[in-house]
Amino acid sequence: MNTFFKNALLTEDTRFYNEIKASGIQEKEIRLNVYRNNITVSLIDALSDIFPVTQTLVGDEFFRASARIYLENNQPKSPVISEYGANFSDFIRHFEPAQSLPYLADLAALEYAMLRLTHSEEYETLDHQTVSDAFSSVEDPSTLTFSIPPTTQILASPFAIGSLYRAHFSDGHQRLNNVDINQSEYLLLIKSHLYAQLHVIQRDEAVFIKNLMQQKVLSEAIPDSDAFDLGETLAKLIEWNVFTNIK
Amino acid sequence: MSPVLTELSSLRAEDSPLPSRFAERFQSQSGISLKPAYYQLILSEQPDVGFFEIHAENYLSQGGPARYYLQKIRENYPITVHGVGLSIGGEQPINQEHLNRVAQLVDDVQPEVFSEHLAWSSHDNAFLNDLLPVAYDEATLQRVCEHIDHIQSHLKRTMLIENPSTYFEFNRSTMSEIDFISEMSKRTGCRLLLDVNNVDVSCFNHGHDAYDYLNAFPAHAVGQIHLAGHTIDSNQTVPLKIDSHDEPVSQDVWSLYHHTLTLTGDCPTLIERDGNLPAMAVLLEEAAFANTIRKSIHSLEIRREHIL
Repeated sequence: MNTFFKNALLTEDTRFYNEIKASGIQEKEIRLNVYRNNITVSLIDALSDIFPVTQTLVGDEFFRASARIYLENNQPKSPVISEYGANFSDFIRHFEPAQSLPYLADLAALEYAMLRLTHSEEYETLDHQTVSDAFSSVEDPSTLTFSIPPTTQILASPFAIGSLYRAHFSDGHQRLNNVDINQSEYLLLIKSHLYAQLHVIQRDEAVFIKNLMQQKVLSEAIPDSDAFDLGETLAKLIEWNVFTNIK
Repeated sequence: MSPVLTELSSLRAEDSPLPSRFAERFQSQSGISLKPAYYQLILSEQPDVGFFEIHAENYLSQGGPARYYLQKIRENYPITVHGVGLSIGGEQPINQEHLNRVAQLVDDVQPEVFSEHLAWSSHDNAFLNDLLPVAYDEATLQRVCEHIDHIQSHLKRTMLIENPSTYFEFNRSTMSEIDFISEMSKRTGCRLLLDVNNVDVSCFNHGHDAYDYLNAFPAHAVGQIHLAGHTIDSNQTVPLKIDSHDEPVSQDVWSLYHHTLTLTGDCPTLIERDGNLPAMAVLLEEAAFANTIRKSIHSLEIRREHIL
């Protein structure tokens, strides 16, 4: 019976209607509509909580209309509603009305990754002193290996989605309009102080961090590039609490 | 019934494993919903409130602010865990992966009670994010009882099941909601969470008398009471009360609550709020008001003892 019930909630299918005690079709629909409305509104609200920057960029009306179409074929799989919307970014990528904003899908993917990271487990990271001790405790620092939380992510996009995301959370629309969206960006997503943190990094730095995550020793992790400044990059990574262990 | 379930039916809340140092507080002072907007204020002001209730599904992550603040608040307050996603009324088996996550949370938090709903929300791998109604017939009753048995065995504790707010009744129902709930509690040993607002909402929506409903409710099995606000859909065809949790508790519900307590005796009570969140102080006032009503019942009970 719940197959019909579910269909009645999500589509125009009326096969469930004879289960409903009511004086007529109009009353049946009014009663059923409370549930239809609860489901639709709560799921759209959930997506709006999960993708606030995407929503700001396209406007409330467009966002809610898109979310409504998305949820028709993409109901949550888990009762943990903060995990909803894993493929919302893919949906946007193929959603015809959103084609005028080619960066939107990448931005939605970034928002989702940030939220998942915030909900992920915490790792204890090393403070400045411990990192300098690790460096001074060895004769040759180039043999050191660095541990980074496995939840850390590096994303690359042909668009400046990191700057766009950060502008949204700093001081609103003015900054949002100042972002040159057609710049490619590399992004480091790490967890610090209970929340996901987003850092816009250089391509060389992205390569370097990837290498460290693959447990390459320091000397082998350094990218083959004149522009790469090891001291400066390490200083940033220490500042951002990226390392959980050095040995 | 399997031996495990027989054992569970005899387990009562008062001798549940790991008695909490907060049990007295939970029993005597009313609580409020825990919302992220209140985290900081709770930690800085340590308000005088009986307990905080969380929705299990909002605290199942591995880390992040929700788990962090919950742990901090748990140090000073009793917590109750209210599940909204186990889909006990569903036609398909309980989602074991989800139950495992809920069980882990219950194990971590050691709540005063764990409660869930007489409703379904998942079907064919889709979670619909609403508490959907079930038909009151023998087939559904058996299924619901199997699901409750399964969850209670897994959690190794008695759970509370909440009476639903509903917007239609089923033609195929063969028994009343009260008969269904009473039998469910009898067969599984589960206790009941009596949501007085749901009684008001459902009775209004189906043309039943809320006082008659309460008088027939198995009061002896009630382990907790919920109070919340509702809104009204005043359409011409069939006006409905909507269980929205985004308004203060209504006057009608306060009156029903007073009547409820004369039936159940004093009972742990929650002011439940999910939307249109006011300042926390507003909820604390409602909780204090509930305490006042509870005290008046308490003195009534004492007088009754005198007469006896």
